[in-house]
Amino acid sequence: MSKLSRVDLLQGTLDLLILRTLALGRSHGHAIAKHIQRTSQDLLQVETGSLYPALHRLEAKGWIAASWELSEKGKRARYYQLTAAGRRQLVEEQSRWEAFARAMGLVLNPNPEGTA
Amino acid sequence: MRAFIRKLNWLLARRRKEAELREELAFHLEEEAEELAERGLGVAEARNAARRDFGNSGLVAEDTRAAWGWRWTEELAQDVRYAMRAMRASRTFTALALVSLALGIGANTAIFSFLDAILLRRLPAADPESLVLLRMHMRQSEVHGMEYHDGSFKTAGGGFTNATFAYPAFELFRNSGVFASVFCYQSAGGLNVSIGGDARIADGEYVSGEYFHGLGIRAASGRLLEEADDRAGAAPVVVAGFGFANARLGGVATVVGRQIRIDGIVFTVVGVAPAEFFGADPAAAPELYVPMHANLLLDAQNSYSPPAGRYADPNVEWLNVMARLRPGGTPAQAQAVLSGPFSEWMRTVNTRRNRANLPTLLVEPGAGGLDGLRREYRKPLALLLGVTGLILVLACANIANLLLARAAARRREMAIRLSVGAGRRRVIRQLLTESVLLALAGSAAGIGLAIWGMRSITALLADGREGFTLHAALNWHVLAAAAALAVVTGVFFGLAPALEATRVDLVTALKQSRTGGAAGHSRFGLGRALMVAQMGIALLVLVLAGLMVRTLGNLESVRLGFDREHVLTFHLNPAQTGHKGAEMTAFYEELRRRLAELPGVQAASLSVLPMIGSGQAMTMVSTGKEEAKATLIQTVGPDFFRTMQIPILLGRGIEDRDRAGAPYTAVVSDGFAREHFGQRNPVGEHLRFSECERCEIEIVGVAANARYGSLRDEAGPVVYLPYGQAAFGPVEAMYYELRTAGNPLAYEREAREIVRRADPGLPVADVRTQTARIDGTIRQSITFARLCAAFALLALAIACVGLYGTVAYRVARRTGEIEHPHGAGRAARAGCLHGAA
Repeated sequence: MSKLSRVDLLQGTLDLLILRTLALGRSHGHAIAKHIQRTSQDLLQVETGSLYPALHRLEAKGWIAASWELSEKGKRARYYQLTAAGRRQLVEEQSRWEAFARAMGLVLNPNPEGTA
Repeated sequence: MRAFIRKLNWLLARRRKEAELREELAFHLEEEAEELAERGLGVAEARNAARRDFGNSGLVAEDTRAAWGWRWTEELAQDVRYAMRAMRASRTFTALALVSLALGIGANTAIFSFLDAILLRRLPAADPESLVLLRMHMRQSEVHGMEYHDGSFKTAGGGFTNATFAYPAFELFRNSGVFASVFCYQSAGGLNVSIGGDARIADGEYVSGEYFHGLGIRAASGRLLEEADDRAGAAPVVVAGFGFANARLGGVATVVGRQIRIDGIVFTVVGVAPAEFFGADPAAAPELYVPMHANLLLDAQNSYSPPAGRYADPNVEWLNVMARLRPGGTPAQAQAVLSGPFSEWMRTVNTRRNRANLPTLLVEPGAGGLDGLRREYRKPLALLLGVTGLILVLACANIANLLLARAAARRREMAIRLSVGAGRRRVIRQLLTESVLLALAGSAAGIGLAIWGMRSITALLADGREGFTLHAALNWHVLAAAAALAVVTGVFFGLAPALEATRVDLVTALKQSRTGGAAGHSRFGLGRALMVAQMGIALLVLVLAGLMVRTLGNLESVRLGFDREHVLTFHLNPAQTGHKGAEMTAFYEELRRRLAELPGVQAASLSVLPMIGSGQAMTMVSTGKEEAKATLIQTVGPDFFRTMQIPILLGRGIEDRDRAGAPYTAVVSDGFAREHFGQRNPVGEHLRFSECERCEIEIVGVAANARYGSLRDEAGPVVYLPYGQAAFGPVEAMYYELRTAGNPLAYEREAREIVRRADPGLPVADVRTQTARIDGTIRQSITFARLCAAFALLALAIACVGLYGTVAYRVARRTGEIEHPHGAGRAARAGCLHGAA
């Protein structure tokens, strides 16, 4: 049960973060996690247990597509990239999130701060 | 939809996907380990750290798999597995439920398939809905004691409906312009068809030139009959039925142009009717379609009505008439337009009908063709369907009862499942899966039973008749409906307790012992009501079957007035092999003498018709009463009364001396004598018939009453005429009757040999014992009584299965209570242990 609620909590945000990361170009799971961690200045830790279900869920929804390719180090890796539907979804979710974050910020604090 | 297809594709590629997921996760681990190693950790240490960081890899994989979207199928598989386990765990319950369902569904599907085949059957014609059937209706029946064929029947509210018309009446319809096309047909009976020297009897149908065109039939090969073929003097051509072309002409493809001999006359086969075509009467399946006017060749010797004169005679009614409505027309319109002219025609042109009982025209929908078959089987089949419907009710009640009993017993199990965190919906879905699975398995078994049942019933109905056309196809609608009913029953009776069970106060339920306690009692009322209803229904069906069997018994033990045992009968038609006139009479007599000389044959005679089956009637013009009246006629040979063992009460029977040239004689039945002469002695009195008004026929004897025509009607007045005198023209086909010592069929071979020696081209047809012939006329009743009895037993069996199952289940579940009447604590403890296990 608790496992489910954690997924619920993360779902919207993690999906958005993945879509946003892939908007920069195709990438594999590990690189996506590292990118989110790096750009959030290590504030956001993406758990493997959440990342892969999320990736596969997004793939099932048709927002991202996967293909096997060679990584920079020459190993076979599963690369994800945004589809057209994913791009539309990203725009939508990002604006929704921004509206939400602004509203939260206005209510809580004039000094906005992101949380996961 | 696209999402569904994607899921499906994934399902198919599941194996590959699993491997890919493993690889993907392994790659992630490696990347992580390498990154850590780059930061300066040792390789082994980095790997461990990466693994620690990764978390439970099994769980990650499991969660990811969940995202693939086939969780529902996995859960379904889980439910099915669980249901199987639950079914195996209570084998008795499962077996009883399955048997009930299979029997209920199977019986219903089989019977309804037949009803469907009979009632809903459409003529295999183009646009059957615009076809109409012409009939006429009279206020009262004209003849006593007849069973009619070809669409004639007694109408429900008294009166009588007939479907045969005179040729001039047919022309009246054709020239009226009311219909797009009008066509007629008449059975040609068994034709002697000789192909390459092999002579056999084949069913023929005379059809008018517009017949095939009017029905909108296309030839399977060659061409069908046209108007030009149906004219006096046209070249003799014939169309073969599909089955006949395959069986006797060596295949459809090579038939056209073949020459065959019909009754000794060479006909050319011009084409083959399509395989699905069975003529205009669903009860018959003609093997040959012969142009109507070919009866001028084939039926030339017809004793009562030579075809040459028949076409112009308004008094001889012999044709079935169908027509196709003009676009937009209705049967009612056509009837309104035609009934006036038809009645007028009857009044002015017909001279023989009783003026006080002139028929009126009926135009009825003809999509189903001539509906003798439907009338014959509709009521008994509807009755059977009622019975099988009750059986399905019984089966459903069984399921309900068993499920109720089990649900009460499973309350605790439900409580446990709920308390360990199963969602309520999930538990309910689980229970429904069980019910549906049960229903599906039952339906599958039901299909098997239905197929088997249909085969058996077809065999029962056909009873060895060749060309039996009633072939039921598995009725999927009914099967689906019955299965759906079963599923609904299962779901409803499974769901109601499931809903209640999952709403339980967990603590109370868990504290209860395994027996279900109070819950069991509260359900018992409904269960008991169901059982009582079941027994009631089973009893009703039993009584019904008892009545049918009793009726049948009455029919079988009816006093016929003659001895039906030990008589061999068969049919000969020497007219078809060229015998005629006095020579044919001599041929018959010679055969009769030789047959009578067979060792073991006590007497031999012949008659135009067998006693029971159909009758023949003629109109008497004078017997001392003014009004013309039809009476039954049986034309017989010498020794007939001795052969049939009908006592002669006065005077003498028909003898050898009653032959052509001698004064016309007749023997009348006791009933006839009483009706027409009262207490007077009729011997020496005279009769005259409209067929030969000059012929003074002297009554030479009175025979005891015997049933003739219908088995069901009391013996009526009958006039027996000697066939040798041919008072109304020469006879053609006759039935021989041989009274034998012992089994009549033991004489078949010798009788055939005698006929073969007399005329090798003459087939011996329809060889049966008199008893079998009589049983044949009530075959339908016999069949349905048997079926009904079988279904009654089935109903009883199902009710017993239900009763046994429910009681056994309850007893088994309460064994603990019964064994330890004082040890509630122990029982509860035992229940706890069981529950935990």
